[in-house]
Amino acid sequence: MTRAAFSYDFPHRHLVSVADLNPVDIRIIFERAAHWLAVNRTPDKSSGVLQGLTVLNLFFEASTRTQGSFEMAGKRLGADVVNFAMASSSASKGESLSDTARTLAAMRPDIMVVRHSATGAPKFLADRTGLAVVNAGDGMHEHPTQALLDSFTLAQHWGEVGGKRILIVGDILHSRVARSNIGLLNILGAEIRLCAPPTLLPPDVDQWGCDVFHDLDDALTGCDAVMALRQQKERMSGGFVPSGREFFHLFGLTHERLEACSPDVLVMHPGPMNRGTEIHTKLADDPERSVILEQVESGVAVRMAVLELIGGVIRKEAGA
Amino acid sequence: MTTTSLAIINARLVDPASGHDAPGGVLVEDGVIAQTGSEIDIDAADEVIDARGRILAPALIDLRAAKEPALTPDGETLDTLVAGAAAGGIGTLVLAPNDRSPLDKADGFAGMTRGLGQHGVRLLSACGATTGLVGNQMAEIGLMVRGGAVYAGNGDRPVADTRTMRRLLADTSQFDVWLSVRPADAALCDGTVALESDWSARMGLPAEPAVSERIAIERDAALAELTGGRLMIDRLSTEAGLDALRRARGRDLEIAATVAVAHLTLNEVDAGGLDSAFRMDPPLRSEADRLALVRAVADGEIDAVVSDHRPTPYDDKGEPFALAIAGTMGVETLLGAMLGLVHEGDLELAEALRPLTCGPADLLGLPQGRIAAGAPADLILVDGDMPWVCKPEAFHSARGNTAWAGRRFQGRVLQTFVRGVTIHNHKT
Repeated sequence: MTRAAFSYDFPHRHLVSVADLNPVDIRIIFERAAHWLAVNRTPDKSSGVLQGLTVLNLFFEASTRTQGSFEMAGKRLGADVVNFAMASSSASKGESLSDTARTLAAMRPDIMVVRHSATGAPKFLADRTGLAVVNAGDGMHEHPTQALLDSFTLAQHWGEVGGKRILIVGDILHSRVARSNIGLLNILGAEIRLCAPPTLLPPDVDQWGCDVFHDLDDALTGCDAVMALRQQKERMSGGFVPSGREFFHLFGLTHERLEACSPDVLVMHPGPMNRGTEIHTKLADDPERSVILEQVESGVAVRMAVLELIGGVIRKEAGA
Repeated sequence: MTTTSLAIINARLVDPASGHDAPGGVLVEDGVIAQTGSEIDIDAADEVIDARGRILAPALIDLRAAKEPALTPDGETLDTLVAGAAAGGIGTLVLAPNDRSPLDKADGFAGMTRGLGQHGVRLLSACGATTGLVGNQMAEIGLMVRGGAVYAGNGDRPVADTRTMRRLLADTSQFDVWLSVRPADAALCDGTVALESDWSARMGLPAEPAVSERIAIERDAALAELTGGRLMIDRLSTEAGLDALRRARGRDLEIAATVAVAHLTLNEVDAGGLDSAFRMDPPLRSEADRLALVRAVADGEIDAVVSDHRPTPYDDKGEPFALAIAGTMGVETLLGAMLGLVHEGDLELAEALRPLTCGPADLLGLPQGRIAAGAPADLILVDGDMPWVCKPEAFHSARGNTAWAGRRFQGRVLQTFVRGVTIHNHKT
């Protein structure tokens, strides 16, 4: 399906939560991402779509891949991309976030890409500055572009994500990736399974539209894709599992255990990966199974699509 | 303008202490109520106020307000705090320890409380129970009680160490003062900003399960039983905690409970938009918790409702919900919020006023908080129906952080008297 066939324009100037998106919005994003994915594989990657717009990368938490992915996405679209490493700046000099926001807004950027340790920080910045905001991860709440790139990667293999059985295994409790994926996969009509020890599951998570397992072999039965999550040590206080090796024995992904899955099962990981804790190193590197590097490639394309679409809304508002 | 005698007549006289709610008035002589009832001798009065059917009640007593640290450049001063309290109908205000102003130093404590006595509102002070409110080292509570402290409290932090809690209860028992401690299990509430619930789990907010409060109350009640200390549950906020309180009271202990007005009038859904104005300590709870607390107020199980007034340095609190400074201002909105429960039919007027007047007075052994011959003439005249909108910019304080911004209230204080002297007169 081409864009014109939707007869509907992408309406969002922010991407704060996957809950803001409807299935058509997601199709539009995927359609544009597929375009950019192809362009990115050519030697002629540059485009002028966002020329004249400034994208501000505001990362209050350290990040390599997500920040780099957004930076590359913005630059390939021709935007001026400015990185503010907030972890080592005015925030540590006692300035409140609302003051920081007003200061940065006065520099007249167009889109802010925000990562912050606190739930709601991107929306807080959007409310106070009026700028377009893309959530690049807020605390344990959401990481919408990660969920989009995960589903986009799967859609590249399957065509449709709806109707497939997808298992998320590992630290669900502290994971914004899991929260965004559960939301997005529900919108797309996938069957979602979660598998983790009870200490790493949010309370009443079975009410979120997914089936909950504590036994990995049961959980893997008939799955079309499996996503492993690392334990978010930086968000934990105290031990949630006795040891890494016990966790691996109970919840680690291996080739042997995947035999319960669909024969074409895909293995995913949002990274960074702890080999030997949540995934066996051979499985992570198996090109037949693992789509981990495809996820990274999709990330740039999906972020290009999101920035392009939001940039379009900004231009339309300015023209109106 | 002091008058030697003042009569207020034709009022709806509401005295929660006696359960009286009927037309009547008072005669005040030299700051003391000389006569109450429907047969006031107005010929004896220098000044007569015709209340024209409005509510005459004891001035409110608020056991928990935070003082900004002295000399905070752009902050709330004692003068503006007092003006706000008087406008809110509060005649007696207790400054409680908090992190920014821990009130834990015995040096100068008596001088400070003497200074507090110079304001129109009766300003009293509690003292910090532990040094820096950290919960390790007992503060010099005895010296501070001699210096005027009316109870000992530990701010927002629970006392984690059971042995220290035991000693605090034992120590305070010799001075016959309440030990006011937040009921929360220190490990379960550490670093949390919300009630553990479906909402907080979906939002990925660090959250405290409601049983944390129950665990703390059960521990502290057991220690009160062991030591003979007087335990004040500082801002009960959950139904689970209320159940624990009831069980403890069944064992005939000296145990008092306060509730913050926020937990009677707001719930976690109000924080649903992650507005930092609703970041509280204890956090806002479920609607079931709120309803259970309102019923407990109606049943007289709650000794005092407190404003838990707390100005923050930024009106918008400066940070997203999870990082924002907890607390809301409350002295000007305390009565309006409680009257909301009366207008909604959840509470009778006397039930709503009891934990704001004679309830806290009885806890501290204060003579005010009642309308009776011989009691101090600390009174409020209230138009129970007057509508108004909470506007932070209209507060007397320089601060404006409030969870009730934009709320519509019904019922406003027209006049506040302390010792028979008008300390607030509503501008019409």
